[in-house]
Amino acid sequence: MGAKKDPASRAGGSIFPRVVSIGTANPPTKYTQRELVDLFRCDDPVLTQFFTSSHIDSRHLVLPAPGPDGSIPREDGTVLLEKHRKYSLQVGSEAVLKCLGARGLTPQDVDSMVVVTTTGMLCPSLSALLSAHLGMRRDVQRIDIVGMGCNAGVNGLFTAARFARANPETNVLLLSSEICSAGYVFDMTVRTAVVNSLFGDACSAVLLRADDGMGWRDGPRLLDFESYIVHEAARDMRFDFENGLWSFYLNRDIPYKIGATIEKPVDALLSRHGLKRRDIDHWLVHSGGKKVIDSVKYNLKLTDWDVRHTRSVLRNYGNISSSAVLFSYQELVREVVTREGDLGVVIAMGPGVSLETGLLQW
Amino acid sequence: MEFETIRLETEGQRARVILNRAGRGNAINVKMVEELQAAFHRIEDANEVRVVVLAAAGPDFCRGIDLTDFSRERIPDIHGFSRWEKVCRSLERLPAVTIAATDGEVAGGGLQLALACDVRVATSRSFFHFHDVRMGFIPGMGTYRLAKFIGLGRARRMALTGRKVQAEEAQRIGLIDHLCGAGDLESSVAAAIDEFGPIHPEAVELIRRLVDESYENPWEDFLGNFLAAQDRAIRSKDFRDHVARAHEEAGKK
Repeated sequence: MGAKKDPASRAGGSIFPRVVSIGTANPPTKYTQRELVDLFRCDDPVLTQFFTSSHIDSRHLVLPAPGPDGSIPREDGTVLLEKHRKYSLQVGSEAVLKCLGARGLTPQDVDSMVVVTTTGMLCPSLSALLSAHLGMRRDVQRIDIVGMGCNAGVNGLFTAARFARANPETNVLLLSSEICSAGYVFDMTVRTAVVNSLFGDACSAVLLRADDGMGWRDGPRLLDFESYIVHEAARDMRFDFENGLWSFYLNRDIPYKIGATIEKPVDALLSRHGLKRRDIDHWLVHSGGKKVIDSVKYNLKLTDWDVRHTRSVLRNYGNISSSAVLFSYQELVREVVTREGDLGVVIAMGPGVSLETGLLQW
Repeated sequence: MEFETIRLETEGQRARVILNRAGRGNAINVKMVEELQAAFHRIEDANEVRVVVLAAAGPDFCRGIDLTDFSRERIPDIHGFSRWEKVCRSLERLPAVTIAATDGEVAGGGLQLALACDVRVATSRSFFHFHDVRMGFIPGMGTYRLAKFIGLGRARRMALTGRKVQAEEAQRIGLIDHLCGAGDLESSVAAAIDEFGPIHPEAVELIRRLVDESYENPWEDFLGNFLAAQDRAIRSKDFRDHVARAHEEAGKK
């Protein structure tokens, strides 16, 4: 491969952090879309369609046991927040232990950590609770990124990457914890059906390390990031606090607004390194929903093959918010198709409207 | 950068890619694969090109793959075929109208290139065949494209027998679009281009992709693809200009 395929050579010798491990986990119970329609006693055909035509087969969710009539009882705000706390710790720990264990490490080996979530506000924060829960060192440096939405997997990545780059040969952990069923408000309106037919529960952890002794087989280097925010669409994707519950709102034009903008950060990111989209071997795109994926595909000229992991993550887990791109990354790792010098682009979008992109190289 | 196995001639909105190994019947070798890829990338990057004509020097369009490129001793690796399909795909996804202009033999990889184009113009001397089967290998992703032009039954017969399809039959079965006399290739290509009217590259690329994908998706999935593509098309400057012009014309009346 020619000079084009070696953007990192321009960076003047600094050590780029690599993604050296990944672990993922989900709550144990998985529901098909049909089961959910039945459990929520939804007999409105319009609402049912949101569930059955969503290109999602099943999702992991934490739902209360059905009442005597077989339907799911309502949960109040206190119950939902406790759900977020309990399962973020439980499922998040599982993801962290898998991620560290794959490298023969323990929570004691973590030097700093970035924790990302949008499914609940806790104080002390999730990173504090998690460090105690996992018995991490007391000098672990922590940062919590709360409330940024689906794009925050990439915001977390660039935060962790800067941590790692500034502190070579230390272990930087990124955890994304999205217990979306802790925001499960379904009141038989189209607004809540759109949202509650889509999101699923998942946690994912990656370990970053800037280390001269590591090579491409240890994982891809995180070379660069580019952000773009569409201020005009700030109200199109948002949480509203209604009757003591957080209710998510998605404007139906969001997929098209993302499509109209997505080229800007991607091309800015690539052109900075003398790259074109055709130079990219692997695309890791957020599994936002069928329409968002279509929009990204046609505007960036990607193929179904390029977004195969994006689609399979959506099909098997639903929209798992900031964890989706990390799940896609795990699918790619499992394929064992990456080669030395391969380039990847990660793209995630969410409220803001935020488009977050990153460039990886194996 | 000068090419060895092809020529790339660009004039304003027109580009001609000419297979240029006439001495070897324009057989495709590794060098040609590299150079075709570079040429298509260059065309893609030069935003002004609207029409690409793929033609050949000498009496034959292309005799297919150059077998002398393979080692006698070693089993060839598969990645060359992957690179070749990338070339076909680059041609197939160009933001420009693509026209194959053929004469004489159009075999194997040459036919694959022709099938990747939007329009095929052929002289009456042209004949087409996937002779790969007779040599014990596969006519590439031509196996994917051929049936979409001529139907499954004809595609099987053609790819399995490796028989030669003469120009007249090729036109009858939909393998080519325009048939012309031996000396009329240039003027027939010009006429084929004239059919297009104003060419909006964004629309060409999106429509071609949707039409190509039409066999592959159920209606529900395809609808989402269409809406995403149409949303892109109606945001394009070309379409906005047409809307503005329609308003101006309506205002004059």
